[in-house]
Amino acid sequence: MTEAVTHAEWLAQKERESRVKQEAFLKGISSRLGRQRSMTPPPHPFKGAPDFWNVMDYDVEHRMTAFVDQFSAAGGHAVRFPDMEAAAVFIAERAIQLKARRLVRQDQPELAALDLEKRLAEHASVTAWNTDSGTAWKTAAAEADIGIVLADYAVAHTGSVVALSAAHKGRSVSLLPAALFVLLPAQRIRTRLGEVLAEFDRSGRAGLPAGIHFISGPSRSSDIENDLTIGVHGPGLVYALLVDAFVPADRMREGGGR
Amino acid sequence: MSRQDNAAGSVKARADLALNDEFLRKAVRFTTERLRRGKKEAAEEQGSWEEWRERGRQIRLHTIAHLDYYLNLFADNARANGVHVHFAETSAEAVKISLEIAQQKAAKTVLKSKSMVTEELHINDALQAIGVEAIESDLGEYIIQLAGESPSHIIIPAIHRNRFQIAELLSEDAGMPLPPDTSILAGYVRKKLREHFLEADIGMTGCNFAIAETGSMVLFENEGNARMVTTLPKTQITLMGMERIIPSWADLEVMATLLPRSATGQKLTVYMSGITGPRRSEDADGPDEMHIIIVDNGRSNQLGDPELQELLSCIRCGACLNACPVYRHIGGHAYGGPYSGPIGAVLKPALQKNVAEWDDIANASSLCGACYEACPVKIPLHDMLVYLRRRKVDAGFGDKAEAAGMKGFAAAMGSAKRMKLAVKAGRLAQKLVARDGGIRIRLGPLKGWNTYRVAPILAKRSFREQWRELEHELQAELKEQKPDVQARMERAIREREAGKGGIGHD
Repeated sequence: MTEAVTHAEWLAQKERESRVKQEAFLKGISSRLGRQRSMTPPPHPFKGAPDFWNVMDYDVEHRMTAFVDQFSAAGGHAVRFPDMEAAAVFIAERAIQLKARRLVRQDQPELAALDLEKRLAEHASVTAWNTDSGTAWKTAAAEADIGIVLADYAVAHTGSVVALSAAHKGRSVSLLPAALFVLLPAQRIRTRLGEVLAEFDRSGRAGLPAGIHFISGPSRSSDIENDLTIGVHGPGLVYALLVDAFVPADRMREGGGR
Repeated sequence: MSRQDNAAGSVKARADLALNDEFLRKAVRFTTERLRRGKKEAAEEQGSWEEWRERGRQIRLHTIAHLDYYLNLFADNARANGVHVHFAETSAEAVKISLEIAQQKAAKTVLKSKSMVTEELHINDALQAIGVEAIESDLGEYIIQLAGESPSHIIIPAIHRNRFQIAELLSEDAGMPLPPDTSILAGYVRKKLREHFLEADIGMTGCNFAIAETGSMVLFENEGNARMVTTLPKTQITLMGMERIIPSWADLEVMATLLPRSATGQKLTVYMSGITGPRRSEDADGPDEMHIIIVDNGRSNQLGDPELQELLSCIRCGACLNACPVYRHIGGHAYGGPYSGPIGAVLKPALQKNVAEWDDIANASSLCGACYEACPVKIPLHDMLVYLRRRKVDAGFGDKAEAAGMKGFAAAMGSAKRMKLAVKAGRLAQKLVARDGGIRIRLGPLKGWNTYRVAPILAKRSFREQWRELEHELQAELKEQKPDVQARMERAIREREAGKGGIGHD
């Protein structure tokens, strides 16, 4: 325990040094710029995307088709379903086809309602993220064949799904398994990237999760002879399952998880 | 496994090395051409590219103009998120802080994702010196780390190696033969690094953008290794150039529109991650402890310098490399630093205060301006290369042989008699050295000029010698002019002599 205290002391010492250094560092910058330290927010006239761009807005159907096109072009698979039940049937079928032995999913009621535990009882184990304190969750995700997450947002124009981290929403679940299935409620698809980013400006620093992840297809690399390789570190097989009629099961738990 | 610096010798010597390597030249040209085409298509597809460029430039210029304000805001917000923020004026300071953290954590391994700042700092060697293993996790970086090289392209670090060479390196690493098959080689690296990801004590990253208003750092990548580095190890160290700041998430939309399209032609990289502090206490992944080291290392040299301040707008996309005819020919290692191509040619000398250390790097450009056209934030790189050349000459570091040749030329030009004699002598002498209408010999007064160029042979009859005939022809032409034209011209001459100035210039 003494070591932990020592480390905390060291951190405190470093912070004191850093704050002193910060003053000198910033003073150096302002004097290079030929003025006093600027302490008030400067006018910021050119914030964000150009105006012409900000008026672009697809209707829901257009968002879905644009998303499917973009996501597929990046090597992902995008499939549309009328409801969560149809998506659940698809996931179970694919898991059996792929001979998956372990699945890990975010601990969200909408994903529990897929009832994959029962559908795959004969074939694979399905674990919900961070549901006990005894499991090494990062290792569990690394050992899983399939990860299942519920997208918080998506962007039609870039073909991206967005996953926010929380206690019940592990960053590892969308990263470590060999295959990733993302459930995407149709009404969560925005037209432009900026619409989703604006949410983070709105929620402000204190409202942000530790990890915000935009995912636009399977992991890839062109580092060897510019030859495209899929699945280098992250999942090589990525499904976006678009669900037309989605009912949030439990708004209390679903609302960001903070 | 210490990384060779590639900095020895002149650009010329390093370029000769590269030019001898047939594969390198082909590979670099093939890949840069593909990236360049991808960028062009992505820009066209996005539409109104000039407006996006202009907005990108405005946001970067605004942030740099108020850098002290935004950096302070970022540091305060990052601290509020639970991040330990450090400031390092020099690379030595940044290395010292990193090593202290590694020692505090009794770290055995540091797992890295791609970071150009850590290339500036040579952090891998420093970690190794205190017995900590640094492992690059980006596929291309892993390959060049095995080869003991530095990156030869800002986006594709191993652009200069073919898959046979890579298979050889990885076979040695694996202790068993691996075939030169891209997916098998990538699969081997994936498997090998998986173990490291779960065991590494420290994850080390760079930073594409830092958002001042929320204290978040943003990473763009395709492989997923940067996500692993920021999700699995217990401690995260992020090294960040002090100019990486943008004010808000709204501004990130512009950067996210410009960066991937300019770098690889993608609409967005496979992963774009915004990290805001270490893991929350109830989270089951993410680092327990997060450090951000804000690095100057010569960047402030450009602040307040009207000719070079815009360099700080750079978003490290590599588009100028792909567009540059010189880079495409000589490859990245010829530039002798972590940054290559036009941006490297400007950054390398600009990051160093000592003029004497300025290399001949700024001369490795034909000043064609393709880099400016390609730049998503409109940095006038070709102008900056001219400024640097001028400063180098002003400071007395010009090429002595070329200067002597120019001096001799000036002396000969100063007198008609001397010029006539010199041309006569030259015409005689060039019979010995001229081939195919050009002179390539690098001796005497032509040494400086001919080291990089071919001097044309002297004409059989000089302009001077032809002048008498030309003048005669002109006179004849004047005589044949119509009377009204002649009268108008004579009037014009009279008016000019009377001090009225030229026609139509008032």
